[in-house]
Amino acid sequence: MSVDVKLEDVWVRFGSFTAVKNANVTIRGGEFFSFLGPSGCGKTTLLRCISGFQEPTDGKILFDGKNMAGIGPNKRPTALIFQNLALFPLMSVADNIAFGLEVRGIGKAQRRKKADELLDLIALPGQGDKKVGELSGGQKQRVAIARALAVEPEILLLDEPLSALDLKLRQHMRTELREIQKRVGITFIYITHDQGEALTMSDRVAVMSEGVIEQVADSVTLYDRPEKPFVASFVGENNDFRGRVTSVSEGYAEVETSEGLFRGRVSEGNRDALSGSGPASIFVRPEALKIAGTATEASNAFEANLLQEEFEGNMRHLVLESKGGQRLRMTLVNDGHVLDYGPGSTVPVVFNPELAIVLPQEA
Amino acid sequence: MKSAQFLRVVLGAYIVLFFAYLFGPLILMSITAFNSSEFPRVTPWDCFSTDWFNVLVEDKRIMTGLRNSIIIGFGVVCLSVPIGLAAAMMLTQVGRRMKSFFYTVVVSPILVPGVVLGISTLIFWDRLGTMFDASYNSVFYNGIFLSILGQSTFVSAYCMLVFTARLQRFDPVQEEAALDLGATNAQAFVKILLPFLKPAIGSAAVMAFLASFENYNTTIFTIVSESTLTTVLASKVRFGINPSISALAVIIVVLTLICAIIHEAMKRQEARRAQAAKDERVVADYASVGRFATSPWGIVLLVFLAGLGTIWLATRYDTASCKMRLQDERQLRLEQSTPSTPAVTPGAATPGTTTPSTTTPTTTPSGSEPAAKPYQGIFAPQNLDQVAPKDEGEAAPAGEGKSDGESKPYQGIFAPQNLDNVAPKSD
Amino acid sequence: MALTAWFQHFFKKNGIVLSIYLMSAVLLWMVIMIILPQVFMLDFSFRFNLPPGKIGGEEDVYTISNYRFLLFGSPGNPDPYNVIDTTVFFRTILAAIFVTVFDLLLCYPIAYALAIVAKGGTARLMVLSLIVPFWINEILRAFAFRILFGSSGVINTVGMTLGLWDTPFDFIKADIALYAGLGYAYILLMIFPIYNAMESLDRNQLEAARDLGAQWWRIHWRIVIPFSKPGIASGCTMVFMLSAGALAAPQILGGPSSLWFTQIIYQWFNTGGNWPRGSAYAIVLLAVCILFVLFMMRVFKVRIGEIGR
Ligand SMILES: Nc1ncnc2c1ncn2[C@@H]1O[C@H](COP(=O)(O)OP(=O)(O)OP(=O)(O)O)[C@@H](O)[C@H]1O
Ligand SMILES: [Mg+2]
Repeated sequence: MSVDVKLEDVWVRFGSFTAVKNANVTIRGGEFFSFLGPSGCGKTTLLRCISGFQEPTDGKILFDGKNMAGIGPNKRPTALIFQNLALFPLMSVADNIAFGLEVRGIGKAQRRKKADELLDLIALPGQGDKKVGELSGGQKQRVAIARALAVEPEILLLDEPLSALDLKLRQHMRTELREIQKRVGITFIYITHDQGEALTMSDRVAVMSEGVIEQVADSVTLYDRPEKPFVASFVGENNDFRGRVTSVSEGYAEVETSEGLFRGRVSEGNRDALSGSGPASIFVRPEALKIAGTATEASNAFEANLLQEEFEGNMRHLVLESKGGQRLRMTLVNDGHVLDYGPGSTVPVVFNPELAIVLPQEA
Repeated sequence: MKSAQFLRVVLGAYIVLFFAYLFGPLILMSITAFNSSEFPRVTPWDCFSTDWFNVLVEDKRIMTGLRNSIIIGFGVVCLSVPIGLAAAMMLTQVGRRMKSFFYTVVVSPILVPGVVLGISTLIFWDRLGTMFDASYNSVFYNGIFLSILGQSTFVSAYCMLVFTARLQRFDPVQEEAALDLGATNAQAFVKILLPFLKPAIGSAAVMAFLASFENYNTTIFTIVSESTLTTVLASKVRFGINPSISALAVIIVVLTLICAIIHEAMKRQEARRAQAAKDERVVADYASVGRFATSPWGIVLLVFLAGLGTIWLATRYDTASCKMRLQDERQLRLEQSTPSTPAVTPGAATPGTTTPSTTTPTTTPSGSEPAAKPYQGIFAPQNLDQVAPKDEGEAAPAGEGKSDGESKPYQGIFAPQNLDNVAPKSD
Repeated sequence: MALTAWFQHFFKKNGIVLSIYLMSAVLLWMVIMIILPQVFMLDFSFRFNLPPGKIGGEEDVYTISNYRFLLFGSPGNPDPYNVIDTTVFFRTILAAIFVTVFDLLLCYPIAYALAIVAKGGTARLMVLSLIVPFWINEILRAFAFRILFGSSGVINTVGMTLGLWDTPFDFIKADIALYAGLGYAYILLMIFPIYNAMESLDRNQLEAARDLGAQWWRIHWRIVIPFSKPGIASGCTMVFMLSAGALAAPQILGGPSSLWFTQIIYQWFNTGGNWPRGSAYAIVLLAVCILFVLFMMRVFKVRIGEIGR
């Protein structure tokens, strides 16, 4: 029933421009898989390769081990939800949903039945005779999903389907999409530049940058154990201290930065790249930075100047400037304590090596 | 500020004059259709008459030409709409370099004189015919076939421009969506692109038909021995004119006005519907009818129809007696060179006349032409041939300058009678 | 190489059926209807006028005699060149230029009024009133002018009644009817391109210029006209081409002694019975029109895409 999708060394070039560089990833059947990356990093291109609108310049795309080269989009077991939805404005909602059945030569009564079923699924019962133009944004969204599901695809591809919606609706649709996926049980491949979407909905996420898949992992791993500097700074907020590696030992490394010598975790995969005294970064999340004295003393300590405080009710965000002139952010949970420091004062800062990640930087 | 106002007034006056220039000739021409005078004129006014309409419909050459024009028009629509569509789609798919070459080639027919297109089509098929040793009855020499091809050469370009404009607003992702849902390329074309292009197809077809229908420059060469409405009209107009042509003009003007009004009304309705959809307000139908009736066009139409209707009913039966009176006056005033044959007017047989009619026999000023003939609906075979020479009699002394002095019935376009006064020197 | 790749892509994108339709329709149009006829006409213009039996025979060789005839006339011609035909040719070109300028002057204010001054309903009504007369047959429009300008026509009647002149003035002989009719015939093709170009002009520019105290003519000269250049080029090209290539209006409205170049072409095909010579003349007309288009593209610095719409 559900199908594994495997990308093997996929390259896509447009003339001299390379949009996708050596993509290797396996998407398991029944999984909710997301591609996350900034605009223009090649997400849509990759999706078009999977759906068959774009032939990879190099490499293979396998569905359950079967090479898809030369098979057109209308012959693949995929259905794509387009970035702008691409509903057919001249057809009614029901006709839109049943379009895939119509072109397969399925009779009118049966089409209507299927459309009604799907309208129920997307919680728009009895709205089949409306024109597409009469629907709201969220309803259009759901109709696009129903239209794609009508052909009973084994893989549903979604290209930033929520980007046109307002914030409230977007959050609502996240849960809804996830539920629909659970109900139909097919593979969802989801594209977004919104990390909130990717992290909340997906089983696993592939983070892309400039055509390269940087890391594939589940949401927690991505946040807590980034493998690449790009992932560390793109997913969530991070403070980035640059420097040079001084020593690497089992699971940890020390980095000499302008603020001092800091210690942080090193993953197995990055260990080799960090040996030698190459350039490296130590990433610390704002919530991992603490004010000295309020937390247990740790080895990583430095001083910074408080520039500004943003109060957000449950949180306090402090904007700091280190001695080396680097801007830093610190997030404190509002536990009722009054902050002892005002703007302009010097704050002693510490952080736990367990919560700091050392990653190699390009020279 | 004052000068700005002054400029506005000047511009306004200019616009009024401009539209007078635009409509004046047409209005005057239309009026001449109702004057019983043999020569189309407004002054002096002889008698109100609708006879010229009957002269018109009984004119076999005009009717043959009309039939051919309609056939050719349909042919052109059937050929140039698909071609224009294909070319417009092709334009979206070829590379930049190829595109500019392709575009230059296909818009060139618009920028080239129609006579050149007609001549080149004629010669091309003539030479092909010579190569294949085809007979003169074959398609290579068939005026209708050649005219369809010749006209489509440039009409296709117009169609292409219409489609290009529409295609620019098409989202190609929709076609991809259809393919993704399993449609074949042909299905995506038929079910997605064609419905989107439907309005453009409609307007391209109407435009193609009109362009074909009124084309003269290309057709005059490609039509060979056949005729179309325009070529018949042209030969008639060139060799003496009579108000039956004005009558034709009236019909075309009225049809045009009606089409324009319908078009405008439809557009307004569409706009209003779009507006209503936006406001989610329902506009009652009677409101739009009411608004149309009070719009300038509604008024024009109502006045026009009412005027036409009253004139039609009130003065129809008068024509014969008026003509007779005029005839008498003339006979008194001047010697008439044309012998007039008396004709009987069974006025009572006139259908559709609500007013009492005269049963007096009447002589018509137009010699052999019986005044009653218009109402009998049976054609008079001698009609055209006898009207024409009479025309010449009126036109030549009046110095209209274009008489050919002969009263033979006009033949095909390539007949020697169609000679202009100045013949080319032949070597 | 690139071409085969393109074809592969094309067939893949459109499918077989659609590809064949697109290809064949476009090729039919471009090759059979546009290019080949022109090539054949060009070829034919360099041939002798032979009876059908001799075509393809040994006498069927190339010659420039048809073009020579336009310039110098028949061998026995006492004049140094073909006076009648060359005169007609140059007069046609000049007259077409005159008609073009006349239409430009006539239509510019209207296009301006339509694009900038008039609003909503008024503008729509004006557009419609402009279009309606042009749905009416070209011949009938010329006919209307013949009625208007005839010796017993309205203008003569009115003029004589008012005592402006006392014998009927022959407008047709003086070619006034012809110029008025030709100018009339192509008004629409001058107005709409200019209107289209002007419409996208940002009105704030005009306001700004007015604020800075510019006189109205300066506003036009420095802002409106430069902005509507493509439209003016397009309109002038169309009107010139159509008036130089007009046949019906000169036939109907032209004076007996003033021929139009197209009429001479027509005569070669019709009574003259010399098709190759007619082709040569048509080629000359075509060349003039192409030169005019190129000239306009040069002067107004526009591309052909902007002219041909
Ligand atoms: N047909 C094409 N020809 C040339 N370049 C292309 C083509 N399609 C995409 N590109 C380029 O490839 C890069 C990746 O494009 P893609 O559409 O995959 O980005 P994306 O990640 O989906 O971005 P977004 O989030 O904005 O949708 C872009 O720089 C784009 O300009
Ligand atoms: Mg995208």
